[in-house]
Formats: sequence, structure tokens, C-alpha cells
Amino acid sequence: MIKNYLKIAWRNILHNKVYSAINILGLAAGMAVALIIGLWVINEFSYDKFLPNYKQLYQVNLHFTTQREEHTQTALAIPLAEVLRKEIPGIKYVAETDWVGWQYHDLLVGTKKLYVGGGAAHPDFLKIFEYPFVKGSAKDAFKDPYSIILDQATATALFGNADPMNKIIRFDNQQNLKVTGIIKDIPKNATKQFSFLTPFAFKEQTEGWMKSARTTWTNNSFNMYIELQPGVTAEQIAPKIKNLVYQHSVQMRPAKPEVILHAMMDWHLYSDFKMGKPVGGFIDYVRMFSIIGILVLLIACINFMNLSTARSEKRAREVGVRKAIGSQRSDLIAQFLAESVLITFIASLFSIVFVQLALPSFNTVIGSSIAIPFANPLFWIGMLLYVLFTGLLAGSRPAFYLSSFNPVTVLKGTFKVGKAASLPRKVLVVLQFSCSIALIISTVIVYQQIQYAKSRPTGYSSERLMVTDMSGDLANNYDALKNSLISSGVVESVAAASSPVTNIYSHMSLDKWPGKAADEESVNIGAIFVSDNYFKTLGMTLKEGHDFSSKWSDDTTSVILNEAAIKRIGLKDPINKLVTWNGSSGPVRIIGVVKDALMESPFTPVAPAIFSHGRGGNNVMYRLAPNVNTQDAIKKINKIFDTYNPAYPYIYQFVDDEYNHKFNLEVLVGKLAGVFAGLAIFISCLGLFGLAAYVAEQRTKEIGIRKVLGATIANVWLLLSRDFILLVLISCIIASPVAFYFLQGWLQKYDYRISIGPGVFLLSALVAIIITMITISFQAIKAALTNPVKSLRSE
Amino acid sequence: MLSLQHISKYYQVSGLKNYVLNDLSLEVDEGEFISIMGPSGSGKSTLLNVIGMLDDPSDGYHYFAGHAVHQLKEKQRSALYKQYIGFVFQAYHLIDELTVYENIETPLIYQDFKSSERKAMVADILDKFNIVGKKDLFPAQLSGGQQQLVGIARALIAKPKMLLADEPTGNLNSKQGEEIMELFRKLNREDKVTIIQVTHSEKNAEYGTRIINLLDGKIASSKKL
Repeated sequence: MIKNYLKIAWRNILHNKVYSAINILGLAAGMAVALIIGLWVINEFSYDKFLPNYKQLYQVNLHFTTQREEHTQTALAIPLAEVLRKEIPGIKYVAETDWVGWQYHDLLVGTKKLYVGGGAAHPDFLKIFEYPFVKGSAKDAFKDPYSIILDQATATALFGNADPMNKIIRFDNQQNLKVTGIIKDIPKNATKQFSFLTPFAFKEQTEGWMKSARTTWTNNSFNMYIELQPGVTAEQIAPKIKNLVYQHSVQMRPAKPEVILHAMMDWHLYSDFKMGKPVGGFIDYVRMFSIIGILVLLIACINFMNLSTARSEKRAREVGVRKAIGSQRSDLIAQFLAESVLITFIASLFSIVFVQLALPSFNTVIGSSIAIPFANPLFWIGMLLYVLFTGLLAGSRPAFYLSSFNPVTVLKGTFKVGKAASLPRKVLVVLQFSCSIALIISTVIVYQQIQYAKSRPTGYSSERLMVTDMSGDLANNYDALKNSLISSGVVESVAAASSPVTNIYSHMSLDKWPGKAADEESVNIGAIFVSDNYFKTLGMTLKEGHDFSSKWSDDTTSVILNEAAIKRIGLKDPINKLVTWNGSSGPVRIIGVVKDALMESPFTPVAPAIFSHGRGGNNVMYRLAPNVNTQDAIKKINKIFDTYNPAYPYIYQFVDDEYNHKFNLEVLVGKLAGVFAGLAIFISCLGLFGLAAYVAEQRTKEIGIRKVLGATIANVWLLLSRDFILLVLISCIIASPVAFYFLQGWLQKYDYRISIGPGVFLLSALVAIIITMITISFQAIKAALTNPVKSLRSE
Repeated sequence: MLSLQHISKYYQVSGLKNYVLNDLSLEVDEGEFISIMGPSGSGKSTLLNVIGMLDDPSDGYHYFAGHAVHQLKEKQRSALYKQYIGFVFQAYHLIDELTVYENIETPLIYQDFKSSERKAMVADILDKFNIVGKKDLFPAQLSGGQQQLVGIARALIAKPKMLLADEPTGNLNSKQGEEIMELFRKLNREDKVTIIQVTHSEKNAEYGTRIINLLDGKIASSKKL
């Protein structure tokens, strides 16, 4: 029986080539979109699941509540680790670390130098995260503080094909570390990425500021990870650890610290905290695109439904005959479903081809490495279910509709597709176009929001401005470096600071200022220690007062605040007022107020910041002279950096690139929404094209008569287009408020956001209507041009 | 074998009942060959459709092969129909996408015959109707007479007790029509198939064993031949 069904289905496909092509192409495009989104969603959910025991692994976080705000941070103080280890039953391992992955260090082997991200971790880190060792073992790797573990890629980069084990690496050109282990490269779908690991003991022995860290509860500069005993849940542990910091540290108490756990499974998708609970994060986008995938698939299925039911007159006779020779309705339903599953199956093959072709660019846009898992039998089982699901979804309505025909009327030839069938068809077209138009609106608004934030004044000039980490000998040679850079002629200005231009690394607290109320809390303030020429080099302007002088001694008690800070503490006439903060021992004098500069998120208001004159710093900033060739300039600068910091490779960033990175997520969302909106409208139009062809065919005789009576081509075009344009207009009216509601919600994420005006809705409606008119005009004009004599004679 | 008692079929048109069949009663015995005649609109086709269970009467009692058809559910009726009745149409109504062989085979598929049985039965009837050479052609490649032959072969393939034919020769020339009528007579006499045909042609009607004349949904006359 199935064989018979499929045979008919196959012959039907061959007999109606245009119709079949529209159906298969539409379904294939829809399935490809859903498939690619499906693969991406699976990839997103696969994060951090490559290690055994991942379900029992947690990062320890700290949640604070102050008068003005609450926030959750990963930065903790080391003493907590010892308390967790000794006092809390149910915890198997605890590992304190620095910011693993974000600590950039210089690895030197002979003439090879690498400046890569890694970190320092307690030996139990390797027991918690059982990274597979290629050489060495987790047990022995960190026995000696002067040891280092590398991943395979880094090992190969440093040692080539030679065995790296027990070889010596010069670390920051200061210490010699022995390679005691090689781990497999960390897969891309892991949140924690690093190239090397050193023992935490090594950090404690070699970095001076670490001396008191083991006993200081207020030095929140470290991360901490734990593994729970098998069978122990986070819920059981939570109440036992909640108040540990509060109990042990009197100084921390005002901020009401609560120790909380963040499951490894949630790191990637649930990284936004609210009231100490992971509430969302990237999962919002995963959900959003899952919905888009389902919608696009639905649009494709609707095409199939509409075209099948529109063509029902052609199939009606077959239904009648089959019923007259003994077919039951259920047989016919099965037949039509088999047919739609066959078409879906063919479409799915095309969709796999489409996805395979689209994946390289998709991966480039997303920054992922998704591939179709051809070798995985689960994929094929999934595909099969996908084909069945889509085939049944698309085929259900046609199957039930077509099989309901009465054989007597059908076979008598008096059968006409009634109005009853065209109403659901119209509803479905409206549904399709509502989705497509909503996606168009979303794309436009996402881009508007990006443009809006990008056009926001930054308060500094990023043009030709470069940043390099102040690594190795650079801090000591800073003055010489600066002079050489300037005298080379390719650099116009140089400065150093404790944070790069596009980030603020440390926050301090502003404790006292004139006019502070008794019960007012300290202000969390971004703190940047800057060299002289800092504001000049960055192109920031002072609103009042004056810059730091080049004589350090004059300035130890002076600070410059930004406008946001002044506004926050409500200070009038701030110049020469004294304030107290925990960056200096005594009160300091405000000597200037600098205009706000956008150093953190371009979507939030500028936060209060304090600038203090200080030596050293983490970053060197320098602006290229105008009219120099960038490539040549970089070569020259590279030589100068090599002279003053020979052990380190010269690595630089352009500030405008760094600034643009802040829009990565939004640009990504915008691009994807744009692509999917395009595909959705394409598939919808494909269906409309088929429907228009059908309507034109059905009304051939009417058009012929009208033409004989004197109708012009324009009259006929209007006659055939009017209904469709009306449907698209209705879709616009439905899509606009729905899109408005969701986008308004999305924009709430951003403090600095556009307000949605009517323009975007009008524009989207206009675009949709123009596309619709182009799609149906082909058929309408073709029908209008037909010689009426021909169409009437054929009756 | 068939008993229609007080069968009426009407359509409501603006409150008025428009009768197509009006209180019609008819008894048909096994082995009869009945020709139904009458002017256009007298209810011939409707009567045939009611007998063939393709159409429901508005009123009346319908017994077929010992079953009260008017009380049966759709599914049971369909089963009864499949087992006993074959239908032949004026416009042949072959399925365009299927070959001759497949068209004839289709009813067997609906009756769950095994593949090997189907093969044997179709081969048998192709042979009997002398259309073996045409089995792989599509309907569009056949003449009208040949198509109707396939239509009849399809109607007979499952060995029905009763063959219903709605103007089977209406689209054929007189020679082709005669051949079909000869075939009907042979089927009726040799294979004991009960046949009810609707026809406009006096000549074709006389192949039957009884002629029933319909007028305005009622039996105007009935004569045995």
C-alpha cells in the first residue's frame, strides 16, 4: 500500500514540475533554517559538558546587596577556600585560582616567544576539571611550584615536534618553569579557555602582592571552584555556605555578602544574575532563535498546505474515484500524508546541502565551529524524525481537507472549491506574512539600536589610537620607550594607565566628600591610575580645572574626577574640594573634572570614575601621527618595543577595533535576524507566487470575459493583486504591535536605547507590500496579457 | 439482494423540499440485469448513487445483502460496499497518474489482498479483457473504449456481486458501446453478476432483463424482458 502511495506521489511530483519545485524549494529553505538553528542550539547546550562529573562542578560566587544596587561577582578572597575545604562536609575539592584564561604571560623557549592567556590554580583544580592529559598526570603535574601545564597547541607552538615534557620555559623572562603535563586542546564549546596553567603556589611565591592574600578576607581578587561529593546537591550545600564571608569578615559585612554557587552547566547560557540567582543570559538568544527557526519552518509548511489545498480541484477527481472504488477516508489521509512526507524527504536532502553550503559563512559570523555530524547515527535518526514531523505538519491540513470530498459531487463535475477552503488559506497567508514582517521590523530595530549606540559620542578619539599591554620590562623602560616612540616620528603622543581605553580594570570606593549625608554609602567608582599626557593622548577634554603636571611629586594628593562622579556625589564647585577614597591614605584634592568618556558598555550611562597620577600601569596607549602609513609605522614601533622589551612579542590593538567588539553580540543578532527575515520573506513569497499562479489560472475565463468587455491590463492586474495586498496589509497591522511588544522588551536590556517610532513600521509595511507586488505581478501581468480569444475558446 | 423501501432524496431550497427521489421502492434479485431509463433530472444517477452507497437518501429504508444500510456506520458501509459493489462511470474516471495495471490493482490494495494474489488476479482480468499489451500504458494513451474497458476491469477485479454503471457507453461510439454491452450481458449470464445500469439508449437498455423508467423521482413503469 505504501509503495503504491509513494509511486503516485512521485509521479505527481514529476507531472507538476513548477508546483513541486516551489514546494520542495520552500520546504528545503525552511528546513535548512530550522536545521542550522537546531545545530546551533545543540552546540550552545553542549557547552561545558565535555568533562566527567560536570554536573557536580560549581564556581563559587559572591552576591552583594547595597542601598543602591545588588550584584553578583566571581571575585573572591582566598581565605574562603580554606573554610570550604575544612568546614563544609559534602564538598569534595576546592580550588582557588586567579582569572584563568585572562592572565596573559610571556612564555619563552629559545627565540620563540608566546604571549598567551592562562592562569594559576590550586592542584585540586585538575581533580575538579579532569582535563584529559596527553602527557603527565593530574596527580603529579603541580607537585613542584615551578611547573607548568600546556595545552597541545601551545606545546606545539613552543617545542614543535619535540617532546615538551620536563623542558624549561622562561616565564615572563623572570622564572624558569618545567613542563610537567600536556593536556588536550580545550574544545571550543567550553566556557573556560586557557593555554597554560601554573600552580597557585608559584603565584604566591613569586608575586609580592600575594603575601597577605591567603589571610585577607577583603582582597577579592580570585576565583574559586568546587566539586561536590557524589549525591550531594547544590541545594543541600547552599544554606551551609551562604553566610561564610559574613561570619568571618567584619569588614565585608556592610555589603551583606552571600556565598552562592554557579553550576558549570549554567555557565554558558545562564550567566546573568539577579538577586543572586542565575536568571538568564545567552539562553535568551538561544530561545529567541529557536522560536525564529520554528516560525520559518512553519512558514514553509504553510506554503505546502496552501498550495496543496489550492490545487485541490485537480486532485478532487482522484479522491472521488478512489472513494468510488473502495477507498476509505483513512486510506486517503494516509496517501496524502505519505505524499507530503516524500516531498519533505526530498526537501530535507536539499536542506542538508543548503546547510552544508551555508555553514562556513554561518560559522564565521557566529564565531563557532558547527558541522553537520554526518557520522553520528543520532543525527540521522533526528533527521528522520524531523522529516516525519515536518511532513505530517505540512501534510495534515491538505490530507484532511482533500480526503473529505464527496465522491458524487466530485465525479459529477459540479465540484468547485468553495469559499470555505479559501478562508483558512487567507488566514495562513496572514500568519506567514505577520511572522516575516515582524522579523523585518526586528532586524531594522536591532540595526537602529546598534547605530544609535555607535553614534554615541565616546568622549575620546579612537582614531589611530593603539594599545599594548605594559608587559615585561616596559614599565621600567617606559620613559625611554616613550621618547623613542615620539622621536621616531610615527607616534604623536604616548601615555600609560592601569586600564586600557575600552575597559576599567579596577573599582575602588569613594568614601568621603563634602556634603555627604551621614547614612549615605560609599560610591563604587572606576579607578584609573594614569601617566601624564593621558587625557591629551586619548583626546579627552577637561571641563574644569587642570591636568596632572609632569612632576609626580606635586600630584600624589591630587585626583581628577569625571562628570558622572561629580554628578553622583552632587558636588558644586568641585575644584580644590577634598575627598577620601581607598586609593590613597589621606584625603585628596580634586584638581580637575574631565568630560565623561565611554570606557565600558556603550549601552549604559557612563559610570563615576576617578583618575589618579601614578607610575607603571597595565597598558601603554599611543596615537599614530596623521598621514603615516600604518603598516610602516607598526614595523617601526615593533622594533622600538622589541628594543625595550626583548623577551616579549609585540602585540597591539587598535582602540576602534576594541570598541567595535563591544557590539559583537548586537551585530550578530542583527545579522542573523536579517538573514532569517530575508529567508522568511523569500519562502512566503514563494508560496504567494504559487497561489497567484493558481488564482490566475482559476480566473482565466473571467479575465478573458473582462478583457473582451474592455478591461485594461492595469484593471486585470489590480483585480488579481488586490486581495493579496489586502492580506499583506492585515499582516502588517498584526505584526507591528507584536514586534513592538517583543522589541520593547529586548531594548529594556539597554540603558541607552532608541525609542521605537512609527517610521520603522511604515517602512517595513512598505517593503513587504513592494515585495508582494513584485511577486504577484508576474502572474497577474501574465494572465492579463493572455489573448482572451484563446482562454475563452478553450472552454 | 437489494431492497429500497420508500426512499426519498430531496434538497432544501429556500425552505421548499426539492425532491430528486420521491418515495421510491425497488426490489432487485440476485442475477438481474436492470436498465434504468428516464429523462434528464428524473433521478437516475441519484438512484444509482444511493444503491451504490455513494449518496445517502434523506428518508427511507435501504437493505443490501441482508444488511440494513440506513443503519450502518460509514466504516461498515464502506466495508460492505468494497465487498459487493463495483462502479463504472460514463467518464471512465481512471487515475491519470497510474498505469492500466495499477488502476485495476488499486481496489485490491484497498481490500488488503496480498501482493502475489493481486498479481494473479490482475493478470487474469487483463487476459480476460484482452488488454495485456496495454498494461503499462497510462489512461491518456488509450482510446475511450479502451479506457472504459479498463474501468470495467477495475470495477470487476474484486469480484463484486453487483455492478453499477452510470451511462457506461455515453462517451463511446456505437460500435464500442455494443462491445461493452455484450460484455455486460456475458458477465451477467456467465458470471452471475447483478448489473444495474443507467442509460439513455433504448437499444442498450434492451440488453437487460428488466427496464425501469423513472420520472420525477418515481418509478413510472417497469417491464421484464
